[in-house]
Amino acid sequence: MPAADVVVTGIGMVTPLGATAAESASAWDSGGSVQSAPVPELAGTSLAHLRAAAAQPLDAAARLGSRKMLKYMSESAVLGCVAAHEAVEAAGVRRRFDPDRVGLYSGIGMAGASLADALPALAASVGPSGRVESRLMGERGLAAANPLMSFKILPNMPGCLVSITEGIRGPNLIFTPWEGQTGAALAEGWKAVASGAVDCALCGAADNPAHPAILVHLARSGRLPSGQHVAAAAAYLVLERVGTARRDGHRPIASLADVTIEACDEEPSDPLSGRMGRSFAAAPAVLLALACALPSGAPRVSIVGVDRQRFSAAVGGRP
Amino acid sequence: MRRVAVTGFGVVSPVGIGREAFWSALAAGASGIGRITRFDPSTFAVQLAGEVRGRLELPKAVDEIAGRDPKVGFAFAAAAEALASAGNPRLGVKSLLHLGTSLETFDLDALVFDERRDFRSIVEGERPLQVSLDTAGELIRRYFRDMAINGSGPFILTNVSACAASAQAIGHGFHAVRSGETELALCGGFDSMVNPLGVGGFQLLGALSTENDRGESGCRPFDASRSGAVLGEGAAMLVLEPLEKARAEGRTVLAEVSGCGSTLDAHGLSAPDPEGRGAERAMRAALADAGIAPEAVGHVNAHGTGTRLNDEVEAAAIRRVFAASWQRLPVSATKSLTGHLIGAAGAVEAGACLLALVKGLLPPNPWLRKVAPGCELDHVVGTNARAFDGEYALSNSFGFGGQNASLVFRRVR
Repeated sequence: MPAADVVVTGIGMVTPLGATAAESASAWDSGGSVQSAPVPELAGTSLAHLRAAAAQPLDAAARLGSRKMLKYMSESAVLGCVAAHEAVEAAGVRRRFDPDRVGLYSGIGMAGASLADALPALAASVGPSGRVESRLMGERGLAAANPLMSFKILPNMPGCLVSITEGIRGPNLIFTPWEGQTGAALAEGWKAVASGAVDCALCGAADNPAHPAILVHLARSGRLPSGQHVAAAAAYLVLERVGTARRDGHRPIASLADVTIEACDEEPSDPLSGRMGRSFAAAPAVLLALACALPSGAPRVSIVGVDRQRFSAAVGGRP
Repeated sequence: MRRVAVTGFGVVSPVGIGREAFWSALAAGASGIGRITRFDPSTFAVQLAGEVRGRLELPKAVDEIAGRDPKVGFAFAAAAEALASAGNPRLGVKSLLHLGTSLETFDLDALVFDERRDFRSIVEGERPLQVSLDTAGELIRRYFRDMAINGSGPFILTNVSACAASAQAIGHGFHAVRSGETELALCGGFDSMVNPLGVGGFQLLGALSTENDRGESGCRPFDASRSGAVLGEGAAMLVLEPLEKARAEGRTVLAEVSGCGSTLDAHGLSAPDPEGRGAERAMRAALADAGIAPEAVGHVNAHGTGTRLNDEVEAAAIRRVFAASWQRLPVSATKSLTGHLIGAAGAVEAGACLLALVKGLLPPNPWLRKVAPGCELDHVVGTNARAFDGEYALSNSFGFGGQNASLVFRRVR
């Protein structure tokens, strides 16, 4: 496989450090770290110490050039679509590639489902026992629900929304919910470009694990050790072959080689967690995007997810 | 490139648990659709689903989780059957476990955290709040992996490409075995949206039939009277290995996987591209991947949801792809019997395709009495299976959100 031929020509990022790739990379390079906040719903509980960092505020309608699809988007979908759009614009994907030959390889976290959107239906279905009753959901819960709830709950929607907003029509895969799954998405995109299965791959992920129920689940399952906080983030990269970039006079940002995924028995290790927080499914994409974007980026990135699956890649300078 | 054999298949479905029960029901046109029993649906407009009936034999630890999330039990049982029928291979470092599914299962009470309720009781309680979508894969790895490799395999993938998820999982496993990247792939899907949130969500979208008095005939793909999809639940798993290796080791080869095509509509979230271009490209890509002409295909198992939008668009796409042969290309639509298994649909229907090749029979679409305008195809109608001697069969899975996947299977002569 002509692995050395794969280059990165577009990057998009939305993180707690910055609302764009440039902002995120610059803040990271200058040693910045995010401010996290307590989660109000957990106040007074044994998990009151858990903290979450939101992504930098952004005007999604302005960034996407349209507010048409926003009503369908969960928070993760907004982050993912904005990051994907930035990457696609940077690489000039729309004007350079046949959309049938552009692949989409995405990761999405547990919070791909926008749980807050299910709340009205559930809250209206709570019976005298204090529990959600299916009878009441049929009677009044669904009437209280956002009719578009399913679009915000189904975990493939953030990826599909990227395909719709960017007009991508090629091969695709959407994996969930941890770091290893996004690593697999990045690796599949890289392989698809290297093998010629696609001319261009948009690869990345979004996650927003700040929902209190998800935080409780993460803490109870040992996936969020004490002292660590969660972060909402998304990153997408555009991959293509160096020959294609040269043909179009498009200057690569970095080269990408030796992209691997493997099961392992090591402890989870996220190089971003100290300064940015744990963004789980988004973390491998953010890590790779930072390494590509920074002049001083690491030549090799590696992350072991809470699913005990390791993603690694070799990042070269501009070819 | 290597040829890829299906050496094992396991299934848990509304029409039967296990391969033989599943096939017997499909071949006889016996429906698994009926009134929902998993919860009280009396206040819902939608009251029909294809539910798995009968108890699964599961290890205690799996059974406990399946009590909270039935689809985990379905996945485990289907994987156990698939591996057993393949001669009980162990999952090693060079194995791939790729499962398609849809939605995380939450304890609904735990999601109600507005100001009227005290979240402390949920935080401090011991009730599990959710079952992660990777749970089934982790359990399968724990029980069926090669114990000599410690914790370092196999790699697990959880695919959430909606109705195309498990077809994508099989297609990805096929490509991984064909390229030599993996020596054994256990792939398929598992799902159950038959719960208040799942049924309610789809009810809000108007995608499901509300003709509850139709009972077993609630899902009528391609029929003029069709009124929507009916949800189903279950799981199906395939074991994929290099054909030459499987033969050399004396394993039974059920069929070959010979092609997979995957595309995006990039059109809309709930409605397919009205021209069916994404579906058409998926079928063409699968045929190209298999290296065959459209005329080589002898059977199509359609996505066939029974919705107004899907069926007409899919039929048109099939007619375009198989322009020279569609009038004598038999089309089954097994959702008429199983309901729509969402994340597991592609794998269950892939199973129907490969068993059609094994058995030489095509499952009927028993409720198809009057073909809807625009849905003209060579439908397998009536209640009897039709004899089939073709070499290739194609299975379509077109997902909510515009994800499409088509798989090509080849008969082993």
